[in-house]
Amino acid sequence: MFHLVTGGSGSGKSEYAEQLIMEFGEKEPWRKRYYLATMMPFGEETKQKIERHRKMREGKGFCTVECYLDLKKQLIGLFDEEKQACKPLVLLECMSNLAANELYEENGAGENSAEIIMEGIRFLVDHSCLLVVVTNEVFAESVPDSPEMTVYKEVLGTVNCRMAGMADQVTEVVYGIPVEVKR
Amino acid sequence: MRMIIGGAFQGKMEYAQKEYPGIRWVDGAACSEEELLQCEGVYHFHLYIRKSMEKYEEMRLFADRIIRENPQIVIITDEIGYGLVPIDAFERRYREETGRICTRLAAFSERVDRVVCGIGLPIKGGDVR
Repeated sequence: MFHLVTGGSGSGKSEYAEQLIMEFGEKEPWRKRYYLATMMPFGEETKQKIERHRKMREGKGFCTVECYLDLKKQLIGLFDEEKQACKPLVLLECMSNLAANELYEENGAGENSAEIIMEGIRFLVDHSCLLVVVTNEVFAESVPDSPEMTVYKEVLGTVNCRMAGMADQVTEVVYGIPVEVKR
Repeated sequence: MRMIIGGAFQGKMEYAQKEYPGIRWVDGAACSEEELLQCEGVYHFHLYIRKSMEKYEEMRLFADRIIRENPQIVIITDEIGYGLVPIDAFERRYREETGRICTRLAAFSERVDRVVCGIGLPIKGGDVR
């Protein structure tokens, strides 16, 4: 089961995504819960953001794994062991950060970003019982893009479309209200 | 409480006047706090947040104040969180605060409609498809 959660900034996507994992986890409490964190702790504002999310997750039984680049390569060891036992519940947050990391980090995938990310997503779909991915709607604004921003939007947009194609459910969270896009 | 949300120039006001005829509206870009807390409806609510944030640091609690003091209000607001992270720190804060405040108000609202190309889609209460 793959559930894609999208929405604008500050709209309650994370809270909704965590709730999906928690609801499933109540039914099957023996399954491990992984939180795959993609945001790199650069600067004060980002650190505060990470801290806010950490507080929100507190006591919900998540095992946090930092994944800044190449999901499959990073997780293959951990998840192959899991496969032997029982597939876990996985929350990946947020695709907008992962896409930026792959594009702009020195060891990132660069122009192959969309491919490498999708390889990771397919791997996660195969290795989890429930996969929830949080992404971001960044595609509607008035300010013209720089060439760099256009490339970024193209990568994230491509990944979002491909993920939505594979997903069993897609939900857009609008000011905390879940709006069904695909079911 | 009722909310009408959507992008800029989507016909939110016209839709609002059809859905809630006869309401006395105030303009969030220009009204005082007192006017906002006493009016029947406010438009440009996002600009009220922006204007207030230039004066006050913490706006988030203001959502609770509206809920307490003017729970019947109809709020029209632009959705502004659908772009890349702004470079300017104030713009980042404004965008995030507006999201949090509207999420709080939407949780309290009995009805939320989203207007796209002039067409209102109830996403909470009303006639949700």
